Amino acid sequence: MDISSFINFFLIPGIILGSIYALGAIGVTLVYAIMRHGHFAHGDLATFGAFMVLLFSASSGLSPYAALPIAAVAAGLMAIAIDWLFYTHLRTLPKIITTISSLGVALMLRAVVQIFWGVNTLSYETGIARPENWFGLRIKPHEVVTVVMVIGLVVALEIFLRHSKWGKAMRAMSDNPDLASLCGIDNRKVIALTWMLVGALCAASGFFLGLNTQVKSLMGWNILLPTFAAAILGGVGRIEGAILGGLIVGICEEMSVLVIRSEYKVLSGFVILLLALLIRPTGLFRGKVL
Amino acid sequence: MTALLTMSSISGGYGDADILHDLSMEVGAREIVAIIGPNGAGKSTAMKSIFGLLTIRSGTIVVDGTDITGWAPSRIVRSGICYVPQVANVFYDMTVHENFEMGAFLRNGDYSDALERVYEMFPDMKAKQKALAGSLSGGQRQMVAIGRALMLDPKVLLLDEPTAGLSPKYMEQIFQTCRDIRNTGVALVLVEQHAKQALRFADRGYVLAAGRNRCDGTGVDLLNNRFIAEMFLGA
Amino acid sequence: MNFVTLLNYPIYLLIFISIYGCLTIALNVQWGYAGLFNAGVAGFFAVGAYTSAILTSPAAVGRIGGFSLPVPVGMLGAMLACVVAAWPVGKVCLRFRSDYLAIVSIGVAEAIRLVVRSEEWLTNGSRGIIDIPRPFGDLPYAQSQVAFLGLSCLILLVVYFLVERQLRSPWGRMMRAIRDNETAAQAMGKDVPRRRLEAFILGSALMGLAGALYVHLTRVITPDAIDPMIVTFLVWIMVILGGSGNNRGVLVGALIIWVIWSASELVTDQLPADIALKAKYARMFLVGLLLQVILRLRPEGLLPERVGTAGGSGDLGRTSPEAIAPSEGSDDV
Repeated sequence: MDISSFINFFLIPGIILGSIYALGAIGVTLVYAIMRHGHFAHGDLATFGAFMVLLFSASSGLSPYAALPIAAVAAGLMAIAIDWLFYTHLRTLPKIITTISSLGVALMLRAVVQIFWGVNTLSYETGIARPENWFGLRIKPHEVVTVVMVIGLVVALEIFLRHSKWGKAMRAMSDNPDLASLCGIDNRKVIALTWMLVGALCAASGFFLGLNTQVKSLMGWNILLPTFAAAILGGVGRIEGAILGGLIVGICEEMSVLVIRSEYKVLSGFVILLLALLIRPTGLFRGKVL
Repeated sequence: MTALLTMSSISGGYGDADILHDLSMEVGAREIVAIIGPNGAGKSTAMKSIFGLLTIRSGTIVVDGTDITGWAPSRIVRSGICYVPQVANVFYDMTVHENFEMGAFLRNGDYSDALERVYEMFPDMKAKQKALAGSLSGGQRQMVAIGRALMLDPKVLLLDEPTAGLSPKYMEQIFQTCRDIRNTGVALVLVEQHAKQALRFADRGYVLAAGRNRCDGTGVDLLNNRFIAEMFLGA
Repeated sequence: MNFVTLLNYPIYLLIFISIYGCLTIALNVQWGYAGLFNAGVAGFFAVGAYTSAILTSPAAVGRIGGFSLPVPVGMLGAMLACVVAAWPVGKVCLRFRSDYLAIVSIGVAEAIRLVVRSEEWLTNGSRGIIDIPRPFGDLPYAQSQVAFLGLSCLILLVVYFLVERQLRSPWGRMMRAIRDNETAAQAMGKDVPRRRLEAFILGSALMGLAGALYVHLTRVITPDAIDPMIVTFLVWIMVILGGSGNNRGVLVGALIIWVIWSASELVTDQLPADIALKAKYARMFLVGLLLQVILRLRPEGLLPERVGTAGGSGDLGRTSPEAIAPSEGSDDV
């Protein structure tokens, strides 16, 4: 295999998939860092976001790209509502109870999508998506958009967390929630803010997944495993780790067909997760919560 | 002297069992008060009770005329009282500078003057402002923790064993810092294991035993009290 | 319509309740007593079902098999296969926080689903395995159902008493001590990962047994017969509703949830086709919501764990497990 077909058939799809996993994994890692529990409704929240894009673009005639910000806000508000309705009162119980609850929320979100849109495969209307040839590299326009927008989102999130007052408050609470409240930081506000960001990131990951593959009710559940694999591989609580982990899982998944049957491709993330737990359970960037 | 902080007849604890029994204490303006007593006397618990970190069953806590009994910690901070816990008192994954900024979280607008004062008080931290707090030594972390608490310009500062585990050199430095803080008009309350040293520099002291007031008085009086010396100071 | 056919439906219900009862006790060993979050119940259930199907069915073209072994051998094989599947999972995951096991067990269930679908030589792919022998299958339908109910109830009873006995033994007390205070148990020199692994394997083996029971009831198994999310979730909600840590409680949970689930199916089946499909999803939504309601109103379940019921000598001195005891007043200030 020559280098350009390796790039065309494995590296580029891997980076696209990896960027989508990275967005999801950042959300997973934020939930771990602030709320300190595993969030299994994450994938289905992404599905919800993807369908929100469909809803807003279909009802208003906007392009899916323009509908994304609205869908991101909708998914964020949905996440806040879910937290308020189902998770808040579990906060004093062991965290695993919230994780169990999130499994139920996953089922509920999926059922909502299936009630309103059914189980058929849909797609976004973005016009023709013919690959363009860039010096022998075949790249589709929406692939460029995906990578550029993912980078943009990550940079924006990084700036928010490093330099804004509430971003720092999130980091403070992730670091030491008791001390944060001694500083007068209202933990409930930080939690709501975190869910807003997590919901928006979910919507973005769902949208980009739908843009590059299809929009269907199980799309999010199917990326739950690689998303968690990316978050744990990168080191739970580490955003830079989630990005690197996402890219590794995405690229490995695309390359896995070189060694295993394509039916098992979707298990790549699972295998990486097992290897990470066996070899380096704290992740590549030593995660702080284990 | 009108008291800035008054605890009257506090009883309370973490679960069903009370740890504090009918505990009373007063702190006046610009005063340094040391709380001493044997292990398990409830010194740290007394301090936490002021900050709303345990269940108070009876009694009241008044800061500068405001009854704060039963308030949540994030609200108590607004009443002009700040607290430095004994352990985990800095944000390890944040820089020294960010720790100070977090201390000023409740301040709206420009707080560069407060930052400047803190850096003046801890000149060593000026050079370390970009370092992660988790990478500092125990003594330096204590300075970050105190500096963080000073960012809100509190009227009363509560320090829970600020010298625990520090070398004598750092201990002296922390005590000196406390005097400096007092000279800026802040009252301090310290829980101390090093009873002798603490009484030597505090204005007044409270001796606790089994969650109750044992005795109190000026630092010098307590130091010279034969009974206290035998019981608690190991003299 | 005679009396026996009138009873057909309740008997059918009861058979499924006994199968799910077996699953709930299995999950209770893992979650209720050891605090392990296994989100791959359906995976182990499927392993058991397929193993017993392969061992007991007659020869078929295109896949291994033709062993035609007796049903009890199939059941033993099912349990053994689950032990083999559970061991490495437990070995890798039980050292970590409990949600790591959960995510890995979801992955295991997914892997099992893919293997079942793709490995035609083993499972005959999407065509599935047919002609699986059924105990008392030669009797007329109604009698055969009653006899099968007797068998499944007998197996459930044996499982119940064996598990209860195991939990009353020092092993069971140790399990709960580990669950309630891992650090203290470790300090007392208990081999925490090993005890957890044992509980995980025991529970998984019982899930396999339930799978075998299921496959000998239906006589056919295809990859679509077991919806991983629904099976797993139903078992979880049964355990939590009934009362984690109380075997009688989880059986009550199995009874209630399965009756609700089946009754709602009866209702949705009556609806016109286009609404029926939506109603099917609405049913899933309501099951998810039911879990939230239980966690909110009664997180300890209908029959909470009582020290003494399952545990013997009152070693913990508490009435409900700390793991799910609700506490007043939140600290999230």
